[in-house]
Amino acid sequence: MSLPTVRLGSVVPSHFLKRQLDVIGVGSLGTLGVLIAWHRPAQWLLTTNFLPHAYCYLSNRALVWTNVVADSLIGIAYLAISVTLGYLGYKGRRDIPYHGMFLAFGLFILGCGGTHFVEAVTVWIPVYILAGAVKVLTAAVSLTTAAVLPFTVPHVFDMIRQAKTTEQRTAELRASEERKDALLQEVHHRVKNNLAVICSLFYLQSTHSKDEETVQIFQDMENRVHSIALVHESLYGSENLARIDFAKYAQGLAEGILASHGSPGVHVDLKTELEPVTMGVDLAIPCGLILNELVSNAFRHGFPDGMGGNIKLTLHSDREGRFTLCVQDSGVGIPSGVDVNMSQSLGLKLVRLLTKQIRGSFELVRSDPGTSAHLHFSVNHHAC
Amino acid sequence: MIIEDEILIAEELRDRLSRLGFSVIAAVDSGEEGVAIATRERPDLVLMDIRLKGEIDGVQAANEIRRHVDVPIVYLTAHSDRSTVERAKQTEHDGFLMKSFLRRELQSTLEVAMQRHAIRAKLKKQ
Repeated sequence: MSLPTVRLGSVVPSHFLKRQLDVIGVGSLGTLGVLIAWHRPAQWLLTTNFLPHAYCYLSNRALVWTNVVADSLIGIAYLAISVTLGYLGYKGRRDIPYHGMFLAFGLFILGCGGTHFVEAVTVWIPVYILAGAVKVLTAAVSLTTAAVLPFTVPHVFDMIRQAKTTEQRTAELRASEERKDALLQEVHHRVKNNLAVICSLFYLQSTHSKDEETVQIFQDMENRVHSIALVHESLYGSENLARIDFAKYAQGLAEGILASHGSPGVHVDLKTELEPVTMGVDLAIPCGLILNELVSNAFRHGFPDGMGGNIKLTLHSDREGRFTLCVQDSGVGIPSGVDVNMSQSLGLKLVRLLTKQIRGSFELVRSDPGTSAHLHFSVNHHAC
Repeated sequence: MIIEDEILIAEELRDRLSRLGFSVIAAVDSGEEGVAIATRERPDLVLMDIRLKGEIDGVQAANEIRRHVDVPIVYLTAHSDRSTVERAKQTEHDGFLMKSFLRRELQSTLEVAMQRHAIRAKLKKQ
Protein backbone atom coordinates (compact mmCIF):
# COMPACT_ATOMS: atom_id res chain seq x y z
CA MET A 1 0.00 0.00 0.00
CA SER A 2 1.55 3.35 -1.01
CA LEU A 3 1.81 6.10 1.52
CA PRO A 4 -0.33 9.15 0.91
CA THR A 5 1.57 12.01 -0.63
CA VAL A 6 1.52 15.16 1.45
CA ARG A 7 2.56 18.30 -0.33
CA LEU A 8 4.33 20.70 1.96
CA GLY A 9 2.43 23.54 0.34
CA SER A 10 -0.85 22.11 1.58
CA VAL A 11 0.41 22.13 5.17
CA VAL A 12 2.32 25.41 5.28
CA PRO A 13 1.26 28.43 3.25
CA SER A 14 3.41 28.43 0.11
CA HIS A 15 4.05 32.21 0.21
CA PHE A 16 5.44 31.88 3.74
CA LEU A 17 7.82 29.06 2.75
CA LYS A 18 8.98 31.11 -0.21
CA ARG A 19 9.74 34.06 2.08
CA GLN A 20 11.79 31.86 4.40
CA LEU A 21 13.83 30.46 1.52
CA ASP A 22 14.31 34.00 0.16
CA VAL A 23 15.68 35.23 3.51
CA ILE A 24 18.02 32.26 3.89
CA GLY A 25 19.31 32.73 0.35
CA VAL A 26 19.80 36.50 0.70
CA GLY A 27 21.49 36.07 4.12
CA SER A 28 23.92 33.46 2.85
CA LEU A 29 24.79 35.44 -0.26
CA GLY A 30 25.22 38.58 1.82
CA THR A 31 27.62 36.87 4.22
CA LEU A 32 29.60 35.38 1.33
CA GLY A 33 29.68 38.72 -0.37
CA VAL A 34 31.12 40.46 2.71
CA LEU A 35 33.79 37.78 3.10
CA ILE A 36 34.77 38.02 -0.57
CA ALA A 37 34.85 41.82 -0.57
CA TRP A 38 36.64 42.19 2.77
CA HIS A 39 39.60 39.93 2.08
CA ARG A 40 41.93 40.36 5.11
CA PRO A 41 39.41 39.95 7.93
CA ALA A 42 37.91 37.14 5.98
CA GLN A 43 41.30 35.43 5.77
CA TRP A 44 41.80 35.78 9.51
CA LEU A 45 38.32 34.55 10.37
CA LEU A 46 38.69 31.58 8.08
CA THR A 47 42.08 30.47 9.47
CA THR A 48 42.27 26.69 9.51
CA ASN A 49 45.60 26.14 11.27
CA PHE A 50 44.00 23.83 13.78
CA LEU A 51 42.87 20.28 14.01
CA PRO A 52 39.27 19.63 12.89
CA HIS A 53 36.84 18.22 15.47
CA ALA A 54 36.79 14.88 13.70
CA TYR A 55 40.14 14.17 15.44
CA CYS A 56 38.42 14.56 18.82
CA TYR A 57 35.76 12.11 17.69
CA LEU A 58 38.63 9.77 16.63
CA SER A 59 36.96 9.83 13.20
CA ASN A 60 34.22 7.56 14.58
CA ARG A 61 31.76 7.81 11.67
CA ALA A 62 28.62 7.31 13.80
CA LEU A 63 29.71 9.95 16.31
CA VAL A 64 30.76 12.37 13.61
CA TRP A 65 27.54 12.13 11.65
CA THR A 66 25.36 12.21 14.76
CA ASN A 67 26.90 15.50 15.79
CA VAL A 68 26.96 16.95 12.26
CA VAL A 69 23.34 16.02 11.51
CA ALA A 70 22.08 17.17 14.93
CA ASP A 71 23.93 20.50 14.75
CA SER A 72 22.72 21.06 11.18
CA LEU A 73 19.09 20.32 12.02
CA ILE A 74 19.23 22.53 15.11
CA GLY A 75 20.75 25.27 12.96
CA ILE A 76 18.00 24.92 10.34
CA ALA A 77 15.28 24.93 13.01
CA TYR A 78 16.74 28.00 14.73
CA LEU A 79 17.05 29.76 11.38
CA ALA A 80 13.40 29.01 10.54
CA ILE A 81 12.20 30.16 13.99
CA SER A 82 14.23 33.37 13.83
CA VAL A 83 12.92 34.21 10.34
CA THR A 84 9.34 33.62 11.56
CA LEU A 85 9.86 35.83 14.61
CA GLY A 86 11.51 38.48 12.48
CA TYR A 87 8.64 38.37 9.98
CA LEU A 88 6.09 38.62 12.83
CA GLY A 89 7.93 41.53 14.39
CA TYR A 90 8.20 43.35 11.08
CA LYS A 91 4.64 42.73 9.85
CA GLY A 92 3.08 43.44 13.20
CA ARG A 93 5.17 46.51 13.92
CA ARG A 94 2.06 48.73 13.90
CA ASP A 95 -0.26 46.33 15.75
CA ILE A 96 1.90 44.32 18.15
CA PRO A 97 3.28 46.24 21.14
CA TYR A 98 6.96 45.58 21.90
CA HIS A 99 7.44 44.14 18.41
CA GLY A 100 11.13 45.00 18.87
CA MET A 101 11.35 42.09 21.33
CA PHE A 102 10.30 39.72 18.52
CA LEU A 103 13.14 41.09 16.41
CA ALA A 104 15.58 40.76 19.35
CA PHE A 105 14.49 37.16 19.96
CA GLY A 106 14.79 36.50 16.24
CA LEU A 107 18.37 37.82 16.18
CA PHE A 108 19.61 35.88 19.19
CA ILE A 109 18.00 32.65 17.96
CA LEU A 110 19.62 33.31 14.58
CA GLY A 111 22.94 33.65 16.39
CA CYS A 112 22.35 30.38 18.25
CA GLY A 113 21.54 28.71 14.95
CA GLY A 114 24.72 30.12 13.47
CA THR A 115 26.84 28.61 16.27
CA HIS A 116 25.37 25.17 15.54
CA PHE A 117 26.01 25.49 11.79
CA VAL A 118 29.64 26.47 12.42
CA GLU A 119 29.97 23.54 14.89
CA ALA A 120 28.92 21.20 12.11
CA VAL A 121 31.47 22.77 9.73
CA THR A 122 34.35 22.53 12.25
CA VAL A 123 34.06 18.74 12.26
CA TRP A 124 36.02 18.85 8.98
CA ILE A 125 37.15 22.48 8.54
CA PRO A 126 38.69 23.92 11.74
CA VAL A 127 37.40 27.50 11.41
CA TYR A 128 37.44 27.98 15.17
CA ILE A 129 38.06 31.73 14.95
CA LEU A 130 34.89 32.10 12.88
CA ALA A 131 33.07 29.87 15.40
CA GLY A 132 34.31 32.06 18.25
CA ALA A 133 33.26 35.25 16.42
CA VAL A 134 29.76 33.88 15.85
CA LYS A 135 29.54 32.92 19.55
CA VAL A 136 30.68 36.41 20.64
CA LEU A 137 28.03 38.05 18.44
CA THR A 138 25.37 35.65 19.76
CA ALA A 139 26.42 36.38 23.35
CA ALA A 140 26.15 40.13 22.73
CA VAL A 141 22.65 39.87 21.30
CA SER A 142 21.52 37.36 23.98
CA LEU A 143 22.81 39.50 26.87
CA THR A 144 21.15 42.60 25.45
CA THR A 145 17.82 40.75 25.05
CA ALA A 146 18.14 39.28 28.56
CA ALA A 147 18.81 42.74 29.98
CA VAL A 148 15.82 44.39 28.29
CA LEU A 149 13.29 41.55 28.74
CA PRO A 150 12.54 41.99 32.47
CA PHE A 151 11.50 45.61 31.84
CA THR A 152 8.77 44.45 29.45
CA VAL A 153 7.20 42.02 31.94
CA PRO A 154 5.01 44.56 33.81
CA HIS A 155 3.80 45.98 30.50
CA VAL A 156 2.97 42.51 29.20
CA PHE A 157 0.92 41.79 32.35
CA ASP A 158 -0.87 45.12 31.83
CA MET A 159 -1.67 44.13 28.26
CA ILE A 160 -3.04 40.76 29.41
CA ARG A 161 -5.19 42.48 32.06
CA GLN A 162 -6.52 44.97 29.46
CA ALA A 163 -7.28 42.16 27.01
CA LYS A 164 -9.23 40.28 29.72
CA THR A 165 -11.14 43.44 30.64
CA THR A 166 -11.96 44.08 26.96
CA GLU A 167 -13.13 40.48 26.57
CA GLN A 168 -15.32 40.82 29.65
CA ARG A 169 -16.80 44.11 28.42
CA THR A 170 -17.49 42.60 24.98
CA ALA A 171 -19.30 39.68 26.62
CA GLU A 172 -21.31 42.12 28.78
CA LEU A 173 -22.21 44.20 25.72
CA ARG A 174 -23.29 41.10 23.84
CA ALA A 175 -25.44 39.98 26.77
CA SER A 176 -26.91 43.48 27.03
CA GLU A 177 -27.72 43.47 23.29
CA GLU A 178 -29.47 40.11 23.66
CA ARG A 179 -31.44 41.41 26.65
CA LYS A 180 -32.45 44.48 24.66
CA ASP A 181 -33.63 42.33 21.74
CA ALA A 182 -35.60 40.08 24.09
CA LEU A 183 -37.17 43.15 25.71
CA LEU A 184 -38.07 44.63 22.32
CA GLN A 185 -39.64 41.34 21.27
CA GLU A 186 -41.64 41.29 24.47
CA VAL A 187 -42.77 44.88 23.88
CA HIS A 188 -43.99 44.01 20.36
CA HIS A 189 -45.74 40.93 21.76
CA ARG A 190 -47.42 43.00 24.50
CA VAL A 191 -48.49 45.73 22.09
CA LYS A 192 -49.88 43.18 19.67
CA ASN A 193 -51.72 41.40 22.48
CA ASN A 194 -53.20 44.62 23.82
CA LEU A 195 -54.33 45.67 20.34
CA ALA A 196 -55.89 42.22 19.92
CA VAL A 197 -57.82 42.85 23.15
CA ILE A 198 -59.05 46.18 21.73
CA CYS A 199 -60.17 44.34 18.58
CA SER A 200 -62.08 41.90 20.76
CA LEU A 201 -63.73 44.81 22.57
CA PHE A 202 -64.91 46.32 19.28
CA TYR A 203 -66.14 42.93 18.12
CA LEU A 204 -68.03 42.26 21.33
CA GLN A 205 -69.54 45.75 21.26
CA SER A 206 -70.66 45.21 17.67
CA THR A 207 -72.50 42.04 18.66
CA HIS A 208 -74.55 44.00 21.22
CA SER A 209 -76.03 46.39 18.70
CA LYS A 210 -78.96 45.69 16.51
CA ASP A 211 -78.42 48.81 14.38
CA GLU A 212 -76.63 47.78 11.17
CA GLU A 213 -74.83 51.09 10.79
CA THR A 214 -73.49 50.89 14.37
CA VAL A 215 -72.39 47.29 13.85
CA GLN A 216 -70.56 48.36 10.70
CA ILE A 217 -68.82 51.19 12.54
CA PHE A 218 -67.49 48.82 15.21
CA GLN A 219 -66.40 46.31 12.57
CA ASP A 220 -64.57 49.07 10.71
CA MET A 221 -62.80 50.09 13.94
CA GLU A 222 -61.94 46.44 14.65
CA ASN A 223 -60.36 46.13 11.19
CA ARG A 224 -58.38 49.35 11.64
CA VAL A 225 -56.92 48.28 14.98
CA HIS A 226 -56.28 44.81 13.55
CA SER A 227 -54.21 46.32 10.72
CA ILE A 228 -51.97 48.02 13.34
CA ALA A 229 -51.78 44.84 15.46
CA LEU A 230 -50.67 42.93 12.39
CA VAL A 231 -47.71 45.32 11.95
CA HIS A 232 -46.52 44.51 15.48
CA GLU A 233 -47.09 40.83 14.87
CA SER A 234 -44.94 41.09 11.73
CA LEU A 235 -42.28 43.10 13.58
CA TYR A 236 -41.98 40.32 16.15
CA GLY A 237 -41.36 37.84 13.38
CA SER A 238 -38.83 40.03 11.56
CA GLU A 239 -35.06 39.56 11.78
CA ASN A 240 -34.10 42.94 13.17
CA LEU A 241 -37.34 43.76 15.02
CA ALA A 242 -37.44 47.07 13.13
CA ARG A 243 -38.65 46.42 9.57
CA ILE A 244 -41.42 44.25 8.18
CA ASP A 245 -41.90 42.40 4.91
CA PHE A 246 -44.70 44.64 3.62
CA ALA A 247 -45.69 42.34 0.74
CA LYS A 248 -46.36 39.47 3.13
CA TYR A 249 -48.14 41.82 5.53
CA ALA A 250 -50.35 43.27 2.77
CA GLN A 251 -51.31 39.79 1.55
CA GLY A 252 -52.32 38.70 5.07
CA LEU A 253 -54.19 41.92 5.79
CA ALA A 254 -56.17 41.86 2.53
CA GLU A 255 -57.12 38.19 2.99
CA GLY A 256 -58.28 38.92 6.54
CA ILE A 257 -60.40 41.89 5.44
CA LEU A 258 -62.10 39.86 2.72
CA ALA A 259 -62.77 37.04 5.19
CA SER A 260 -64.27 39.44 7.74
CA HIS A 261 -66.51 41.12 5.15
CA GLY A 262 -67.42 37.87 3.48
CA SER A 263 -70.95 36.55 3.49
CA PRO A 264 -72.42 33.33 2.15
CA GLY A 265 -73.09 33.38 -1.57
CA VAL A 266 -70.85 36.38 -2.27
CA HIS A 267 -67.65 35.37 -3.97
CA VAL A 268 -64.94 37.99 -4.32
CA ASP A 269 -61.48 36.72 -5.23
CA LEU A 270 -58.27 38.37 -4.18
CA LYS A 271 -55.38 38.51 -6.65
CA THR A 272 -52.01 39.90 -5.66
CA GLU A 273 -48.81 40.96 -7.41
CA LEU A 274 -46.63 42.33 -4.64
CA GLU A 275 -42.99 43.32 -5.08
CA PRO A 276 -40.86 42.45 -2.03
CA VAL A 277 -40.06 45.48 0.12
CA THR A 278 -39.26 46.03 3.78
CA MET A 279 -40.31 49.08 5.69
CA GLY A 280 -40.15 50.44 9.22
CA VAL A 281 -43.05 51.00 11.60
CA ASP A 282 -43.46 54.69 10.74
CA LEU A 283 -44.34 53.84 7.15
CA ALA A 284 -45.88 50.38 7.65
CA ILE A 285 -48.67 51.50 9.97
CA PRO A 286 -49.99 54.35 7.78
CA CYS A 287 -49.70 52.15 4.66
CA GLY A 288 -51.47 49.33 6.49
CA LEU A 289 -54.31 51.63 7.56
CA ILE A 290 -54.62 53.03 4.01
CA LEU A 291 -54.66 49.51 2.55
CA ASN A 292 -57.35 48.52 5.05
CA GLU A 293 -59.55 51.43 3.94
CA LEU A 294 -59.02 50.79 0.21
CA VAL A 295 -59.70 47.04 0.34
CA SER A 296 -62.69 47.48 2.67
CA ASN A 297 -64.11 50.20 0.40
CA ALA A 298 -63.58 48.10 -2.71
CA PHE A 299 -65.42 45.17 -1.15
CA ARG A 300 -68.21 47.18 0.43
CA HIS A 301 -69.04 49.52 -2.47
CA GLY A 302 -67.80 47.64 -5.48
CA PHE A 303 -69.97 44.54 -5.23
CA PRO A 304 -73.54 45.39 -4.19
CA ASP A 305 -76.48 42.98 -4.19
CA GLY A 306 -74.39 39.85 -3.82
CA MET A 307 -72.40 40.54 -6.98
CA GLY A 308 -69.14 38.56 -7.31
CA GLY A 309 -65.86 39.61 -8.82
CA ASN A 310 -62.26 40.16 -7.88
CA ILE A 311 -59.99 42.61 -6.17
CA LYS A 312 -56.46 42.94 -7.49
CA LEU A 313 -53.75 44.20 -5.17
CA THR A 314 -50.40 45.22 -6.72
CA LEU A 315 -47.22 46.79 -5.38
CA HIS A 316 -44.48 47.89 -7.79
CA SER A 317 -41.54 50.26 -7.79
CA ASP A 318 -40.23 52.55 -10.50
CA ARG A 319 -36.64 53.35 -11.45
CA GLU A 320 -36.40 56.10 -8.83
CA GLY A 321 -37.44 53.67 -6.10
CA ARG A 322 -40.92 55.13 -5.60
CA PHE A 323 -43.59 52.52 -4.92
CA THR A 324 -47.17 52.37 -6.14
CA LEU A 325 -49.75 50.38 -4.21
CA CYS A 326 -52.83 49.76 -6.29
CA VAL A 327 -56.20 48.31 -5.26
CA GLN A 328 -58.35 47.62 -8.30
CA ASP A 329 -61.76 46.01 -8.19
CA SER A 330 -63.88 44.58 -10.97
CA GLY A 331 -67.06 45.91 -9.46
CA VAL A 332 -69.65 48.48 -10.39
CA GLY A 333 -67.27 51.45 -10.28
CA ILE A 334 -67.80 54.97 -8.98
CA PRO A 335 -71.22 56.37 -9.94
CA SER A 336 -71.05 59.08 -12.58
CA GLY A 337 -71.32 62.60 -11.25
CA VAL A 338 -69.58 61.70 -7.97
CA ASP A 339 -66.30 63.46 -7.24
CA VAL A 340 -64.48 61.08 -4.91
CA ASN A 341 -61.82 63.67 -4.11
CA MET A 342 -64.50 65.77 -2.41
CA SER A 343 -65.93 62.80 -0.49
CA GLN A 344 -66.42 63.35 3.25
CA SER A 345 -66.45 59.67 4.15
CA LEU A 346 -64.21 58.90 7.14
CA GLY A 347 -62.41 56.18 5.22
CA LEU A 348 -61.29 58.43 2.36
CA LYS A 349 -60.53 61.23 4.83
CA LEU A 350 -58.22 58.86 6.69
CA VAL A 351 -56.59 57.86 3.41
CA ARG A 352 -55.93 61.50 2.45
CA LEU A 353 -54.55 62.37 5.90
CA LEU A 354 -52.30 59.32 6.10
CA THR A 355 -51.07 59.87 2.51
CA LYS A 356 -50.04 63.37 3.53
CA GLN A 357 -48.26 61.93 6.61
CA ILE A 358 -46.10 59.63 4.47
CA ARG A 359 -45.43 62.41 1.90
CA GLY A 360 -47.18 60.36 -0.76
CA SER A 361 -49.90 60.96 -3.33
CA PHE A 362 -53.24 59.27 -3.84
CA GLU A 363 -55.74 59.02 -6.67
CA LEU A 364 -59.00 57.19 -7.11
CA VAL A 365 -60.06 56.70 -10.72
CA ARG A 366 -62.66 54.84 -12.67
CA SER A 367 -61.20 51.81 -14.42
CA ASP A 368 -63.24 49.76 -16.79
CA PRO A 369 -64.65 47.80 -15.08
CA GLY A 370 -64.64 48.91 -11.49
CA THR A 371 -62.45 51.38 -9.60
CA SER A 372 -58.71 51.78 -9.17
CA ALA A 373 -57.06 53.33 -6.12
CA HIS A 374 -53.37 54.25 -6.41
CA LEU A 375 -51.07 55.21 -3.55
CA HIS A 376 -47.60 56.50 -4.51
CA PHE A 377 -44.90 56.74 -1.84
CA SER A 378 -41.20 56.51 -1.23
CA VAL A 379 -39.69 53.97 1.17
CA ASN A 380 -36.30 55.69 1.42
CA HIS A 381 -37.88 58.83 2.80
CA HIS A 382 -38.84 56.83 5.87
CA ALA A 383 -35.69 54.64 6.16
CA CYS A 384 -35.08 53.44 9.67
CA MET B 1 -63.85 24.38 25.20
CA ILE B 2 -61.58 27.43 25.22
CA ILE B 3 -58.35 27.76 27.21
CA GLU B 4 -57.12 31.38 26.70
CA ASP B 5 -55.67 33.71 29.32
CA GLU B 6 -56.80 36.97 27.65
CA ILE B 7 -60.42 36.96 28.78
CA LEU B 8 -61.73 39.36 26.16
CA ILE B 9 -60.16 37.37 23.33
CA ALA B 10 -61.73 34.27 24.90
CA GLU B 11 -65.08 36.05 24.93
CA GLU B 12 -64.71 36.96 21.24
CA LEU B 13 -63.88 33.32 20.48
CA ARG B 14 -66.93 32.16 22.42
CA ASP B 15 -69.17 34.48 20.41
CA ARG B 16 -67.67 33.53 17.04
CA LEU B 17 -67.92 29.83 17.85
CA SER B 18 -71.54 30.23 18.89
CA ARG B 19 -72.33 31.91 15.58
CA LEU B 20 -70.71 28.98 13.79
CA GLY B 21 -73.02 26.60 15.61
CA PHE B 22 -70.64 25.39 18.33
CA SER B 23 -71.65 25.26 21.97
CA VAL B 24 -68.88 26.47 24.28
CA ILE B 25 -69.05 24.48 27.52
CA ALA B 26 -66.27 26.41 29.26
CA ALA B 27 -63.78 29.22 28.76
CA VAL B 28 -60.90 29.15 31.30
CA ASP B 29 -57.67 31.10 31.63
CA SER B 30 -55.24 28.58 33.12
CA GLY B 31 -53.79 25.31 31.97
CA GLU B 32 -54.48 23.54 35.27
CA GLU B 33 -58.17 24.46 35.26
CA GLY B 34 -58.38 23.54 31.57
CA VAL B 35 -56.98 20.08 32.22
CA ALA B 36 -59.43 19.49 35.07
CA ILE B 37 -62.51 20.54 33.08
CA ALA B 38 -61.46 18.80 29.85
CA THR B 39 -60.86 15.55 31.73
CA ARG B 40 -64.26 15.78 33.41
CA GLU B 41 -66.43 17.12 30.55
CA ARG B 42 -64.71 15.50 27.51
CA PRO B 43 -65.47 18.32 25.00
CA ASP B 44 -65.65 17.68 21.25
CA LEU B 45 -62.75 20.07 20.71
CA VAL B 46 -60.33 22.16 22.76
CA LEU B 47 -59.04 25.54 21.57
CA MET B 48 -55.77 25.99 23.48
CA ASP B 49 -53.72 29.19 23.68
CA ILE B 50 -50.17 27.96 23.23
CA ARG B 51 -48.69 30.57 25.56
CA LEU B 52 -50.52 30.56 28.87
CA LYS B 53 -49.61 32.37 32.05
CA GLY B 54 -49.29 30.15 35.12
CA GLU B 55 -47.41 27.03 36.06
CA ILE B 56 -47.94 25.16 32.80
CA ASP B 57 -48.13 26.44 29.22
CA GLY B 58 -50.49 25.34 26.45
CA VAL B 59 -48.24 22.51 25.21
CA GLN B 60 -47.93 21.00 28.69
CA ALA B 61 -51.67 21.39 29.30
CA ALA B 62 -52.44 19.68 25.97
CA ASN B 63 -50.15 16.76 26.81
CA GLU B 64 -51.82 16.39 30.20
CA ILE B 65 -55.31 16.43 28.65
CA ARG B 66 -54.31 13.74 26.14
CA ARG B 67 -53.08 11.50 28.92
CA HIS B 68 -56.66 11.36 30.25
CA VAL B 69 -58.99 11.91 27.28
CA ASP B 70 -58.77 11.63 23.50
CA VAL B 71 -60.04 14.97 22.19
CA PRO B 72 -58.97 17.10 19.23
CA ILE B 73 -56.83 20.03 20.34
CA VAL B 74 -56.19 23.11 18.18
CA TYR B 75 -53.45 25.49 19.30
CA LEU B 76 -53.99 29.25 19.13
CA THR B 77 -50.66 30.85 18.24
CA ALA B 78 -49.05 34.11 17.29
CA HIS B 79 -45.72 34.87 15.52
CA SER B 80 -44.26 35.60 18.94
CA ASP B 81 -44.69 32.00 19.98
CA ARG B 82 -42.17 30.57 17.52
CA SER B 83 -40.10 28.56 20.01
CA THR B 84 -43.20 27.19 21.73
CA VAL B 85 -44.72 26.31 18.34
CA GLU B 86 -41.63 24.26 17.51
CA ARG B 87 -42.16 22.38 20.79
CA ALA B 88 -45.83 21.92 20.03
CA LYS B 89 -45.09 20.48 16.59
CA GLN B 90 -43.26 17.60 18.27
CA THR B 91 -46.48 16.63 20.10
CA GLU B 92 -49.69 15.09 18.78
CA HIS B 93 -51.96 17.95 17.65
CA ASP B 94 -54.87 18.60 15.35
CA GLY B 95 -53.96 22.00 14.00
CA PHE B 96 -52.70 25.50 14.59
CA LEU B 97 -54.74 28.67 14.29
CA MET B 98 -52.94 31.99 14.01
CA LYS B 99 -54.70 34.58 16.16
CA SER B 100 -54.19 37.25 13.51
CA PHE B 101 -56.07 35.16 10.93
CA LEU B 102 -58.78 34.00 13.30
CA ARG B 103 -61.71 35.48 11.40
CA ARG B 104 -60.92 33.84 8.09
CA GLU B 105 -59.65 30.49 9.31
CA LEU B 106 -61.60 29.62 12.45
CA GLN B 107 -64.35 27.59 10.85
CA SER B 108 -62.16 25.72 8.35
CA THR B 109 -59.46 24.95 10.92
CA LEU B 110 -61.94 23.52 13.43
CA GLU B 111 -63.66 21.39 10.81
CA VAL B 112 -60.35 19.99 9.55
CA ALA B 113 -59.17 19.34 13.12
CA MET B 114 -62.28 17.37 13.99
CA GLN B 115 -62.07 15.34 10.79
CA ARG B 116 -58.38 14.55 11.36
CA HIS B 117 -59.09 13.46 14.87
CA ALA B 118 -61.93 11.20 13.74
CA ILE B 119 -59.70 9.54 11.12
CA ARG B 120 -56.93 9.04 13.68
CA ALA B 121 -59.35 7.51 16.16
CA LYS B 122 -60.61 5.10 13.47
CA LEU B 123 -57.06 4.07 12.57
CA LYS B 124 -56.23 3.45 16.23
CA LYS B 125 -59.26 1.15 16.58
CA GLN B 126 -58.14 -0.94 13.58
